[in-house]
Amino acid sequence: MGKIWIPGAMPVELLLILAAVFFAFVAGGWVLKKQGRPIPKFWQAILIWIAAYVVLRYVLYPPIPSALLKTYMGLITLVLFLLVSSDEESWTEFKDPILKVLRGATPGFRSIRTITFVALPALIAFGTYDTIVPKFEEPIELRTVHPAPPASVKVAGKTFTLQTAENPFRVDEEGKYSRDIQQQHVNDNPWDPNAVKYMKYVREGGAIFFQNCHFCHGDNLDGRGMFAFAFNPIPANFTDAGTIAQLQETFVFWRVAKGGMGLPREGFPWASVMPPWEQHLTTDEMWKVIMFEYWHTGFYPRTWD
Amino acid sequence: MKLMRAMGNGKRVWSLLMLGAMAFTLLLPLALVVVPTTALADEAATTAAATEGCEKKGKDVYFKIEGCVSGPPAPQTTATDYPSYNLPYPLSENRVIVWTVAQQHLYFGSFVLAVPIFCMIIELVGIMSKDRAIGKRYDDLAHDFVRISLTAYSVTAILGGLLLFTFISLYPVFFSYLTSLFKPFMHIYALLFLAESGTLYIYYYGWDRMNDGGFLKWIHATLGVLLNVFGSVLMMLANSWASFMMSPAGVDEKGQFLGNLTHVLHNALWNPLNVHRIIGNMVFGGGIVAAYAAYKFLSSKTDNEKAYYDWMGYVAMFLAIASLIPLPFAGYWLMREVYAYRQQMGITLMGGLLAWLFIIQAVLIGALFFTTNYYLFNGMGRMRGSEPYRKYIKYILFLTTAAFLVWLTPHTLVMRAAELKAIGGQQHPVIGNFGVMSAKNGAVNTMLMTTIISFILYQRCNKIITVSWAAWGNAVMIGMFAVAMVNNWWLAIIGYYIPANVRVGLSVPQVMGTLTCLFVGLALNSAMMRGAKLTGPVEWGKISVRSQYGLFALAVSFTWLMALMGYIRSSVRLFWHAMEVFRDNSPWAFTHTIGFAANVMSFNVLIFWVFTLFVFWLGEFSTHKQLPSMVDERKPVGLGQPVIAGGSK
Repeated sequence: MGKIWIPGAMPVELLLILAAVFFAFVAGGWVLKKQGRPIPKFWQAILIWIAAYVVLRYVLYPPIPSALLKTYMGLITLVLFLLVSSDEESWTEFKDPILKVLRGATPGFRSIRTITFVALPALIAFGTYDTIVPKFEEPIELRTVHPAPPASVKVAGKTFTLQTAENPFRVDEEGKYSRDIQQQHVNDNPWDPNAVKYMKYVREGGAIFFQNCHFCHGDNLDGRGMFAFAFNPIPANFTDAGTIAQLQETFVFWRVAKGGMGLPREGFPWASVMPPWEQHLTTDEMWKVIMFEYWHTGFYPRTWD
Repeated sequence: MKLMRAMGNGKRVWSLLMLGAMAFTLLLPLALVVVPTTALADEAATTAAATEGCEKKGKDVYFKIEGCVSGPPAPQTTATDYPSYNLPYPLSENRVIVWTVAQQHLYFGSFVLAVPIFCMIIELVGIMSKDRAIGKRYDDLAHDFVRISLTAYSVTAILGGLLLFTFISLYPVFFSYLTSLFKPFMHIYALLFLAESGTLYIYYYGWDRMNDGGFLKWIHATLGVLLNVFGSVLMMLANSWASFMMSPAGVDEKGQFLGNLTHVLHNALWNPLNVHRIIGNMVFGGGIVAAYAAYKFLSSKTDNEKAYYDWMGYVAMFLAIASLIPLPFAGYWLMREVYAYRQQMGITLMGGLLAWLFIIQAVLIGALFFTTNYYLFNGMGRMRGSEPYRKYIKYILFLTTAAFLVWLTPHTLVMRAAELKAIGGQQHPVIGNFGVMSAKNGAVNTMLMTTIISFILYQRCNKIITVSWAAWGNAVMIGMFAVAMVNNWWLAIIGYYIPANVRVGLSVPQVMGTLTCLFVGLALNSAMMRGAKLTGPVEWGKISVRSQYGLFALAVSFTWLMALMGYIRSSVRLFWHAMEVFRDNSPWAFTHTIGFAANVMSFNVLIFWVFTLFVFWLGEFSTHKQLPSMVDERKPVGLGQPVIAGGSK
């Protein structure tokens, strides 16, 4: 299943798959109703629940964390309850088999009742046991991915105010800072000998990236370099819509310059292992590499106005 | 009385003028404090004049204007400045005690501020109603509301006193500093309480006496307006203390007061907080009244009682949801101003330490939408002829659910290291995209639109449209919603491919689409309902018991949301009493874990509801008025009996 995904369209694809499953249900239900063999409400609910579980657990790839799967399924359970109880007729129909089991309406239902009354406490007991038995699983972790930056940072003897500082290489031909320059050259060839100033800097940034950063952050900037999985947390994935695309360029500069060591307390205990690059690169090199990262991923730095 | 009526409209104007003058006189001291004596001189001269002959000058941390230092600097506290009780943890932390008391005070305060807003609206609706029977029904409803809030009013005052003593005894140094800045406002605050109490008692006890259907009734309605003026000003004064702690102004970086009271009051977050809280109060008040109605519905003995409380719950729910729609925009504005004041505060909230709490908020907001839709679906059970509309429920629920899945997906996942490796990174390649604002905007607008569709269907349930242009009307309606939905989804997707400052701006066209659907959709629907044949009147009281529990769920979600967001607003200051001016050096100046905070919130919600149920129960003891008749005189076209809801008993 993992093969058919088209990067970038994946989130929409997932929603479309969910919609397709839903409409398949509606259509199937309608056809069966026309034939005079409608699916009882109780079984409809069970089937929808199973279908949703299959999509979210097996079709959605890579697998989502168990905590999130539980959240999703909890929501779907609740919505199914709302659906079957939204009017009196369907609520009565839904309850019917449950009540029949509880009353033991026929010998068949009576045996189901016996089984249920034995199985339910046993299941609950097992669940309780399973919860308290000591396990060797890793603990669940919640990281602060973007801790709040300081108001200013001192790099190579110079103080940068993060709210207002600008990348000195994000410039037009006159050398003036330009916010739109990236948008104008997003599809340019960095190796073009006649490239504009901005693209030259991007290319220099790229060279720095492939000398220093790609071992961890990967050839495609997706956080899957050759060393990536030796670390926890693993390196940032710049191609994700939620990393550099959500941050000011100065925030990224602060992270690159100070590395994992320079994280504020809220970033611990999962402080990253990124070295403080201010000890290895000049500020100019850092600004260029950041500009390359934005250009290459096609994302734009966050701005406030 | 006849003479009064004859003089009619002129008198109304006079009554308004008189009461306006009264309010003005009572609020005058406030104006004297806020308007500096040199307000008419130009600012440069003022600044120069104001700082002339100063012993010491200071620069305002927010307004960046120089002023005379005329107050002590913010104290440098030590652990001994926080006298705590020798109680078991967590009560050994003063902040947990203050947190609980302040939360309770805020709940009740919010409720007693919201109820007069409702009463004012509902009383006016009653006065304006052409049908006298319905007018009386609304009037009784408003009267009922005030009765409930009267008990809550005294509870609020008691809790306010408790909060004050808690501050003085547990945070003496902090509180004396805050008092040194806000002295005059605190006195005005207390005096305004007198004015509000007086107005409230006249408003409530004079209700029947002034109910002459003419001049006196107008005076009474105007008293309702006056009551709200006092209540809102009261709240704004209290808000300024909280917003000063987040975004200090009127002091220099040492926390020394610079002599201008207006600056202290009018700090960066004051107005956004005012607006957000006023709207929030209305939502909350509606939720509580709806819960009261549900409580009464469930304990009703007669059909007429059931019908009356069913109708009351519906009106309260409707007002709560109507106020809920603009609330996120006010919140958005507040958040924007937080970012503008200090970026660190903004990032701590939305991307850092407190980000996960916003996911919890998203879940609760989703719960509100679901509950509202569910209530409306069940409400269809009150009407004959609603059966053809029920087939749409599954589509509405599916759309809302899909949107909600996107809405609650966090960007930072809770997971084990092995799961992280399986995903191949901190962000999931598929659902990771749901974790950012672009997707969230698309999702929340979808949920709003499906709720609007639910409401439109609900309105049509017991009517057969007779206007000649019905087909055209429906086509326009469907077209409008389709365009708004597609526009909304398209913008949500395109947001990933454009610069951030443009992306943020996309929320405007998305919201415009939603608001167009809301206003145009409801107006068009009302126009189509003109002269429609009734398949049966709304049979109040014929709603399922489940829906009433839905109303409870709605009210509890509101309560929990308030606890959550209040905690976020307060804890974003981290280790500051007043941001970057006055440091919190108490032994517990660290941020609680999310789990602990959530437990305290839940505890607060529980305590509040126990109190509230007590208030409801007390309401039973007061004189029982005859409930208005809920029988609808209009004759139906004639269909069978509706399916009796509540058969699930």
